[in-house]
Amino acid sequence: MDVNDLLVTRDTPVGYELQPLKKKAAIQLMGSRLWGRFNPNHWDPVYAGATGLKAPIQTGEMSSAYIAEMCVNHFGAAMFTGARVVCKYIASTLANEVITTHGVVREKIAKGDGFRFVVDVWADNEEGEKKTVGFVEVDVDVTGDRA
Amino acid sequence: MSTDQLRPMSPVQIAQTRDFIDGLEAGAATYWDMVEIGDELSRELTISPELGILYADGVEDFNPWYEGWRMNSWTIPGESPFGGAIVPPLLVSHFVLSVQFDHTRPFAIGSIHTNHDSEILAPIPVGATVRITTRATDKYVKRERRYVRHAVTVEDVANGTLYFRETRDILSL
Repeated sequence: MDVNDLLVTRDTPVGYELQPLKKKAAIQLMGSRLWGRFNPNHWDPVYAGATGLKAPIQTGEMSSAYIAEMCVNHFGAAMFTGARVVCKYIASTLANEVITTHGVVREKIAKGDGFRFVVDVWADNEEGEKKTVGFVEVDVDVTGDRA
Repeated sequence: MSTDQLRPMSPVQIAQTRDFIDGLEAGAATYWDMVEIGDELSRELTISPELGILYADGVEDFNPWYEGWRMNSWTIPGESPFGGAIVPPLLVSHFVLSVQFDHTRPFAIGSIHTNHDSEILAPIPVGATVRITTRATDKYVKRERRYVRHAVTVEDVANGTLYFRETRDILSL
């Protein structure tokens, strides 16, 4: 695969599937100081069990970051100039689960000289159970109206 | 469940972990009790090259655009389509948590971030100092669970550039 071919263009059709990313919910990363150390639900089995969880859960923001990484792969610099990322955490990502990100272009809305792409995004585990769902909006080739 | 169920730990590490968690729980209040609708809080954050790397490494995102620090070279200008290194698109969202309540008081561990609606308006250069401002816009109960909603803005302290806007909900204990 040539990663330079991933970039979405104005000709990319509705229905186009973004290339997925896979990440493991590694307990060492979930409990790192920046990500989850301040909340033991994210890394301590004993505390998580006491609060009713099957296992420590990954902070949802890690899933959002995975989805954002996938979108940067496909939209490049456009992800930093007027993009929108909407995510809802509908199920907990448990320690050691392998998470896969997905994205499908749902709509292309004419905007200025180009299009505002609307992409349905989600992240699921190896059994296909959705953990995070949402959508992303990104301008492609919009050089006119950005409002 | 045991402390060392998911990773190897010696008795010393287990004891240190339990002490750390006991400390987190001491004197904590819930989000619900710490926040009133209309509360507005603001803090400045300098996004150093090392902070950018720390965030990106945690989610295994190795895009070179985010590298304002590299082993052996250390601090570098970096390269991106916008010139120097920039921060990952949702980095500032992760730090909102540290602004949306009185961070000088212990908060109740166990709260859960449930959703976000984020607008990435402009690239944030690595090294920028941003002001994160949060305003509590709602507290509501849904299916017997308590939620707190915040509206967020992130702007450059030096030049006022509005980088980021967000609405987010926290499920409180």
